Amino acid sequence: MNRFGLALKWLLFVWMIAVIWAAFMWIPSAQGFKGESSRIVFFHVPTAWVATLAFLVSCVASALYLWRRKPKYDFGAAVSNGLGLLFAVLATVTGAIFAKIMWGAYWNWDPRQTSITILLLIYAAYFALRSAVADPEKRATLSAVYSILAFVTVPFLMFIVPRIYFSLHPDVITNSDPNNSLDSAHLKVLLASLAGFTGLSVWLYSVATRIEEIRHRRRQEVL
Amino acid sequence: MSRWLAEALAVAAKDLRAEFRTRVALNSLALFALTTLAAVSYTIGPYRLATEDRPFLLSVLLWIVIFFAALAGLDRSFVKEEESHTAPLLRLAAAPTVVWAGKLLYNLVLIFALMAMLAPLFCVLMGFEIAMPWRFVLVLAAGGYGLAVITTIVAAIIAQALTRGALFSVLSLPLLLPLLIIVIEGTTAVATGDLASYSESLRAIVTMAGAMTIVSAFLFPVVWRD
Amino acid sequence: MRVVFRAVSGEARPGEALVITGPNGSGKSTLLAILCGLLRPTKGVVRYRRQDGDDLPRDEWGRHLGVVAPSMAVYEELTALENLRFYARVRGLALEDAGHRALLERVGLDPDRSTPVRGYSTGMAQRLKIAQALLHSPSVLFFDEASSNLDPSGQDWLEGHVRLLIDEGRTVVLATNDRREMTWGSRNVSLVG
Repeated sequence: MNRFGLALKWLLFVWMIAVIWAAFMWIPSAQGFKGESSRIVFFHVPTAWVATLAFLVSCVASALYLWRRKPKYDFGAAVSNGLGLLFAVLATVTGAIFAKIMWGAYWNWDPRQTSITILLLIYAAYFALRSAVADPEKRATLSAVYSILAFVTVPFLMFIVPRIYFSLHPDVITNSDPNNSLDSAHLKVLLASLAGFTGLSVWLYSVATRIEEIRHRRRQEVL
Repeated sequence: MSRWLAEALAVAAKDLRAEFRTRVALNSLALFALTTLAAVSYTIGPYRLATEDRPFLLSVLLWIVIFFAALAGLDRSFVKEEESHTAPLLRLAAAPTVVWAGKLLYNLVLIFALMAMLAPLFCVLMGFEIAMPWRFVLVLAAGGYGLAVITTIVAAIIAQALTRGALFSVLSLPLLLPLLIIVIEGTTAVATGDLASYSESLRAIVTMAGAMTIVSAFLFPVVWRD
Repeated sequence: MRVVFRAVSGEARPGEALVITGPNGSGKSTLLAILCGLLRPTKGVVRYRRQDGDDLPRDEWGRHLGVVAPSMAVYEELTALENLRFYARVRGLALEDAGHRALLERVGLDPDRSTPVRGYSTGMAQRLKIAQALLHSPSVLFFDEASSNLDPSGQDWLEGHVRLLIDEGRTVVLATNDRREMTWGSRNVSLVG
């Protein structure tokens, strides 16, 4: 690894520690939330954001694979979907903890919980498809197609399904009500955390794709 | 365009003709639907549910029977071509989009046939009263079309995989769940006569089915050719 | 992934018959599948040149190729006539039933037979597959063990017809290990196992 990459890795390391410190020590607990529960927003929102980003990256990588037929795009798509699944699980868990503290139950099939469950099922199915196709090129093509189809459902899950059912989910990021929005200190920490988690996911992505590349090269050498 | 349509119709007609001679897909669809309906109708019956819950719960049951029956038979359209080794010659003879449109049409006929049989029977046996019958037909038609579009492209994918049986449900169902939620909402709305909710659901169904149609039409040639 | 063969190259011209031979498992059928565009080669290209010198786009290959191969079946729920009608319609050919009947009679099948192909013997099914390959009078024909399962009179007919196709200026590619079929070609390619 080159020096620049190493420096970035250390920067990420320090940054994430600073985010954690700010989230738990620096920021006062927000009004209108039970106990210290509001602090989870600094981890819940970034994990949900990284999951969405990863699914988007996978959709783009899949389209690139179908266009260029380079194995690296297939690895990119598979790795992003794996990261997307991981971060979607983290977002679900942090959300459930918050729901338990605020409303007394981990799970109540809130529309957001329904949507993310469906999303988890869809992307788990992606990996079921991958394991069911032996030929690497065929696997890459079919899973790329499925990944694009899966991404078509994402806007429906994020915007239409929550609109049909009543949701308890706080809407502090997207609403325009000044009384119900984040104050500037909270916003700063949240943005810092978003940046940190995005950096973390980029690093994980680059490590995982390099592992896949090496595996691919070794398979080729065996032949 | 008319030539393309004629070729697609030829594919659909060929599949329907072969299907009427063997009745593999039709039997599994119909029998699955009837058995489930009998089980549901026997255990719940027309009077068990509280009046205020009826429209919603009956919509849920109706669509679950339809979706699962579809999953029991609609993968045949592509799996049969691969299993009986007729796919290579079809690849050589027909343009990919023709095959896609033909198979979609064929699946659509199967689903509409299933609905035409199942929906009236369900309404009678479960005492499901619909406030807006014509709009109910429209929701069924739009939902059935969405179901056909998604199952057609997934059937094309799994026909290329090794373990086909369970994979069809595993891959289709998650993609179908958003549609399922919306059609249930639409059916509840036509049962209770809620025009605003009906209109919103129908628009959502059409948007979803339309998006899936366009994406499948683009992606199908890739699945079919390789 | 399995390496079936590494270096195959060559070309065939109109009116030429190419015989591909090789032991079982040497990749004759795989080569044929690549040549007719059903499999994508890991490396290398297949080209079809039109009479005006341009390359034929891949989408149009099917229109100019006719294939008979053991791994490619016709629809066994349909009758022979229905099969031909289907392939003609899906290819957008303006052919009447009279043409289909004549073709079926030429390959030695009864056009009015109402049993589906499921009830055919393997030899009769093979004849129908040959009729299917000839339906759109393609300029290139691939016969993978085409005379297998045919009775002696069928083999005689096929030999005569292959020679006729060559005389008409079509290209015929035969993949076979049959001693008799090997004599139909003007050039020989042998794959080593």
